[in-house]
Amino acid sequence: MSVIVSLAGVCAFALLTGGLVFADRISDAQWLFALGVAWLLMLVATRISLPTRIPTFNRTLIRTSLVIATVFIVISAQLVRIQIVASDATYNRTTVAPDGEIMGNPRLATSELSIQRGEIRDRNGDLIAGTEQQGEIYVRAWPDPSTAYVAGYYSPLLYGSAGLEATWNAELTGDSGNDPLERVINNLLNRPQQGADLRLTLDSSLQQEAMNLLGDSTGAVVVMDVDTGGVHVFASNPNFDPNQIFTPDRTANERATGYWESLVENPDAPLLPRANLGLFTPGSTFKTVTAAIGIELGVIEPDDVYEDSGQITIDGRVLVENNRPDETRDLWTVREGIAWSLNVVFAQIGLDIGTEDYWRLGEDLGFGQQIPFDLPVAESQLANNRGALDRDNALADTAFGQGEILVSPLFMCMLTSMYVNDGAMMQPYLVSQVVDEHGNVTQSIRPQVWRSPISSQTASEVEELMIGAVNNGSVARAQVEGYVVGGKTGTAETGDGSAHSWFIGFIGMDEPRYAVAVVLEGGSGGPASAVTIGRDILYSTITSPDSGN
Amino acid sequence: MRTFYRPTLRLTEFYLLLPPALLAIVGMLMIFLVPTGQVAWAWSDIWVSLAFAGAVLGMGLTFGIRGFRGDQVILPLTATLAIIGLLMIQRLHPDLTALNARYSTLAQRQLLFLMVGLAVLWLTVMLAGPLGVMNWLKRYKYTWLLVSLALQAATFVIGTGPPGSGAKLWITVGPIQVQPSEIVKITLVIFLAGYLEDKRELLGSSWRIGRVSLPPIPYLIPMGLMWAASLLTLVVLNDLGAALLFFAVFLTMLYLASGKPVYVIVGLVTFALACFGAWRAFSRVEVRVQNWLNPWQDPFVSGYQPIQSDYALSSGGILGTGFAQGNPWYIPAVETDYIFSAIGEELGLLGTLAVLAMFFLLTVRGFTVAMRAQDGFVQLLAVGLTSIVAFQTIIIVGGVVRIIPLTGITLPFISYGGSSLLSNFALIGLLLHISSLPKRV
Repeated sequence: MSVIVSLAGVCAFALLTGGLVFADRISDAQWLFALGVAWLLMLVATRISLPTRIPTFNRTLIRTSLVIATVFIVISAQLVRIQIVASDATYNRTTVAPDGEIMGNPRLATSELSIQRGEIRDRNGDLIAGTEQQGEIYVRAWPDPSTAYVAGYYSPLLYGSAGLEATWNAELTGDSGNDPLERVINNLLNRPQQGADLRLTLDSSLQQEAMNLLGDSTGAVVVMDVDTGGVHVFASNPNFDPNQIFTPDRTANERATGYWESLVENPDAPLLPRANLGLFTPGSTFKTVTAAIGIELGVIEPDDVYEDSGQITIDGRVLVENNRPDETRDLWTVREGIAWSLNVVFAQIGLDIGTEDYWRLGEDLGFGQQIPFDLPVAESQLANNRGALDRDNALADTAFGQGEILVSPLFMCMLTSMYVNDGAMMQPYLVSQVVDEHGNVTQSIRPQVWRSPISSQTASEVEELMIGAVNNGSVARAQVEGYVVGGKTGTAETGDGSAHSWFIGFIGMDEPRYAVAVVLEGGSGGPASAVTIGRDILYSTITSPDSGN
Repeated sequence: MRTFYRPTLRLTEFYLLLPPALLAIVGMLMIFLVPTGQVAWAWSDIWVSLAFAGAVLGMGLTFGIRGFRGDQVILPLTATLAIIGLLMIQRLHPDLTALNARYSTLAQRQLLFLMVGLAVLWLTVMLAGPLGVMNWLKRYKYTWLLVSLALQAATFVIGTGPPGSGAKLWITVGPIQVQPSEIVKITLVIFLAGYLEDKRELLGSSWRIGRVSLPPIPYLIPMGLMWAASLLTLVVLNDLGAALLFFAVFLTMLYLASGKPVYVIVGLVTFALACFGAWRAFSRVEVRVQNWLNPWQDPFVSGYQPIQSDYALSSGGILGTGFAQGNPWYIPAVETDYIFSAIGEELGLLGTLAVLAMFFLLTVRGFTVAMRAQDGFVQLLAVGLTSIVAFQTIIIVGGVVRIIPLTGITLPFISYGGSSLLSNFALIGLLLHISSLPKRV
């Protein structure tokens, strides 16, 4: 009997401990059931034998106390669950009624908004996101519409957060990025929490210019420092105004909910920043990738000659060439293939490389890989799956930039930077420094090589090909007097008959310093305007007073 | 009897009363200073605390002068719980007043109730001996039963409750609103103690019909009536809290008087079946059960209160936000049913566990008083009174943390409410008096 009693006690204790340790894996109902079972076991455990010399009344009373004690233990276990182990989930639990009314913890307003959230500033110190004290809370504001959406949105009472506001939340709220000891002391003394500031590589004035150049067009512009991977321009159109998503008062949220719904219902998806989350067919800009793969593998050299007599038949399908500058010439070099964007030449190069090597080098270049960045980046792909490239037609299409390839503008800019950075692909970044409330830099981001898929020899040959396309080819519009400029345009046919216009390029005094990727979505401006935008923003970047760093 | 009046120092009690007295002063200063963020204070800010500290310390002193030789731990425990409650109400007062003007006198009224309650406790202890209270409580046991039934019947006829609840909880007499169940819980215990003591032998025996042994049926009829009365409290008055409390206390006393767990088991099973029936029959009970199991099914209406309570408890963590630094006033009825959640938010898990521990200590202390008592009636009375405090705590806190459905009863000594404070202090007064009676060796 005493064995059973002790065993029941031990089991009850084990059950409660287990239930509390694995609280995040069990539902409320399962926990309540475990609690009930543990209570029954504890009741069994109260049947301990009491000395018979104690009067019956007293023994009965001792048992009653033990039973009452079991109930207090059950209540205490439940309190530990609610107040400690499951407290985060309970604290943040939110539900939305069918009519749009939101039930959420009203403390989120007073706790999140009582933090003086850190500021976000651009490379010149211009304010991108800041806070303003209003009574007991801090109101978040993004003064510059051209950079606001890069910071993301921050709406703790309604829609949570996105962008840098989300990925750097711990630093912005002061949960990290400042002196840990000071943080603990502030917390203990209930002092208002102060967030750390972010310093970006972004240049507000260049960003503003990119927005002006984009105008009403749908698309994206990314400009990157080729040596570091620091992003100077990160423009997307259409975008959103985070000031209208933020609300300091749960009860007065009509403006925010109305604006949010208009964003969600907009078919152009303004909430989706195209520069990092947009995926597009790259068109002829992708010929640079095919060239890089071919040269790296030793399959081609810039002066190798291919036949292009206006068309080629692959697997019975006729591919027509429209890009030859001289329709009487049938032999063209790879260099001329890039300069004049000859599809027939690149279809043959693709076939010469072969599916296996093409796919392998593609993975080395970062296709199908998660790009480490301050914001989430959509994964670029060569094809939906490797098997899709087994057909010669598909491989040929891919080689000149059609087929199932999808790339993000950020990734195209990274590839372009790699060609002029001796084959080293830099990890892109927007946040360069974290600064605590006393102005001390607590974290400095150092440029890092993400991967080195091609040799510096290959890289400089592709760089030459792109310079050639500007000097003696179809990208002459990109030329800027007095600078080294290279580039490649692209027109990507999409399923619905419209076409995306692309430009990738770079600029420098003697050595290329900045790379750009521009995409204009189907129908919104021709290839000429993509080149113009790319050229103008590159020129502004190289001549901006801050270009020294 | 001369030795009875010889003064005594009661040093243990004095030392144990110092923490609640200091808590009163420190806590009140926190409440006043935290919102302003300043350290400037005036004596007028803490006169309430000084009055409380003076009252409890003075009470201990007069007990000593009077030669009172009862328990020295019960009063400090009660005082600590009471001051936590008073501080919480003082702290909620400005927030609740900002919410609704009807709360504008909340803190003053609670202070008045508390002071009157302490006076009731003091008078009970000082006068119970000379008046021979135990004798007439025992002798007029059926009168107490009649008083109980009459009060419940009156509640049924002229009682009112919170708008829309369908419950009948209060009787209004002029400007005063009384909650009869708070009185009934004590008169009922007095009756049960007298009745069970009379029939103790018989209840412990059994009838034999052939080979089957049965409980002594005629003596169980009043027990059946008690069972029915509890259920009627539930169904007719819709006062689940009081019904549960009456029944739990009754079963405990029956168990203690008879020594037979079978009564408890039969009682529990039949009561559970009846409650199950009520759940199926009455939609309002069904809503209550749904709120218990998943308040998120209806987060804006019936589930609103438990969800707000969960938010408050979860924001407390281990140490709590600190007095006057949380936002427990989001919970409807935070000053009564949900005051435990307010403690959880501002004093954290340490605070809630400390409060629970104090209630458990009080229970154990009360049971110890019962064990030491000589007379059977007094023993049962002490058990009954103590289990009122224990079960009332379990029922309301269990409801707040949702291990059982929520029932609207008060957390003893802590929740806002005059009837509750007064009756609970009277209860403690009786318990203290019992502890001073001649003891078993």
